[in-house]
Amino acid sequence: MNTSDSEEDSYNERSALVQCESPTIPSYNQDHDMSLPQETDTKRRRPVSSGLDEPGPVERERASTPDGEEEELTLKYGAKHVIMLFIPVTLCMVVVVATIKSVSFYTEKTSQRLIYTPFEEDPNSVGQRLLNSILNTMVMISVIVVMTIILVVLYKYRCYKFIHGWLILSSLMLLFWFSFMYLGEVFKTYNVAMDYPTLVMIIWNFGVVGMICIHWKGPLRLQQAYLIVISALMALIFIKYLPEWSAWVILGAISIYDLIAVLCPKGPLRMLVETAQERNEPIFPALIYSSAMVWMVGMADSSNPDSADERQRNEGGALAQEGVESEDDAAQGGRRRYSAEEDLEEDRGVKLGLGDFIFYSVLVGKAATTGGDWNTTLACFVAILIGLCLTLLLLAIFKKALPALPISITFGLVFYFSTDNLN
Amino acid sequence: MNLERIPNEEKLGLSRRYYLGGFAFLPFLWLVNVLWFFREAFLKPTYTEQPQIKSYVKKSALGLIVWVAVLTTWITIFQHFRAQWGEVGDYLSFTIPLGTA
Repeated sequence: MNTSDSEEDSYNERSALVQCESPTIPSYNQDHDMSLPQETDTKRRRPVSSGLDEPGPVERERASTPDGEEEELTLKYGAKHVIMLFIPVTLCMVVVVATIKSVSFYTEKTSQRLIYTPFEEDPNSVGQRLLNSILNTMVMISVIVVMTIILVVLYKYRCYKFIHGWLILSSLMLLFWFSFMYLGEVFKTYNVAMDYPTLVMIIWNFGVVGMICIHWKGPLRLQQAYLIVISALMALIFIKYLPEWSAWVILGAISIYDLIAVLCPKGPLRMLVETAQERNEPIFPALIYSSAMVWMVGMADSSNPDSADERQRNEGGALAQEGVESEDDAAQGGRRRYSAEEDLEEDRGVKLGLGDFIFYSVLVGKAATTGGDWNTTLACFVAILIGLCLTLLLLAIFKKALPALPISITFGLVFYFSTDNLN
Repeated sequence: MNLERIPNEEKLGLSRRYYLGGFAFLPFLWLVNVLWFFREAFLKPTYTEQPQIKSYVKKSALGLIVWVAVLTTWITIFQHFRAQWGEVGDYLSFTIPLGTA
């Protein structure tokens, strides 16, 4: 079966890890190392923030708080972010591994291939097989690069309707067609009789509520759950339709591509992120998993609706926010209110692209398919989480969008091949 | 999205849209409406729009119960009588369980 091009592209845009950001409002004016490079945003915010600043003594009091406390806050919020991402990544991988182990459909090899991997892997000749998998990878990566560039160009020239249409089509396909297939296979595995009317009701409800939650407004938890589910479905499709060796080479190649695309100045993903930042727009919700919501600086909300609106607009797409920012915002209300707000405040959290979810799950899923036993799967799982942890640490240090694939996938591949070949 | 930080009129609008949307054979949407707005409607101190939100939540809950009853009845009937219906049963079936040897 052939997946649509939109699938390929969409998941690619999703390979980036960004911190939720709101531009720094340097309450602690002397801490230059804390301020972010988004000068323009900061300037725009300063008039707003100064209105909220408590006069005189409290400011001086805050000015005297040591760096150590801020570092502590950064670390504390950094740790919280790590947990906030571990849970969805783990859930996605658990869903994929559980499906692989129980539903045999996704591990049955078919002669059907995606059009992106046209070369057949001949199991007889090692050299030929390797060559074909490399060729497949080249085809796939070039498709991905082309799609990414098209997306960035469309975004730069503000063809929002086209992009939204594309994303909606792609989520429609995931939510309806792939979940229909999935449900069918699960029912066949468990030998359950299912009738068409009930099935249509289930798929219809699942799909429509999914579209509403992802593209419009819905409860955060439900949106997160849907994003996890569609990542898992996409990963399962890849596991089924990518040839054996090609899958591993593709994983390696796409981590390298992610590294280039996000870090190089002219990299497409970096340009996408920066353009979104410049325009102060959220990156499309269908591409990014967001771990938390902004909670407006408590009491200050009612007194200053402007700042609330601004922050609301920036919450979605604002990037590279350090955890201390949210503390700054809270501290604006005055340190004495901090402890009261602490239990109420949700900090801005971190965003992870859906492509990252998908490829992590592909790696662990393939380890579950082909690996000897559970050791391999667990090793890969741990490796990916360690990689994610390191990436988040780097994110806290560098405070800009970072590729989430390279470290995790490298560790994952190393652990897979070494654990698999232990005996 | 966080219900805490949107104004009450928007909450009302959202609840109303979820309620109206549920009429398109979407009991799941009604379920989401009930669960999401439950706290707003019943556990929060009163505000102007609250009675209306309450009514939407109640009506959604009612619709949900009706749908659950209908679906449960149909599923029970189907599972019980599927084999006896012969050809019609097969026509209606998406997956047919395989027998054991």
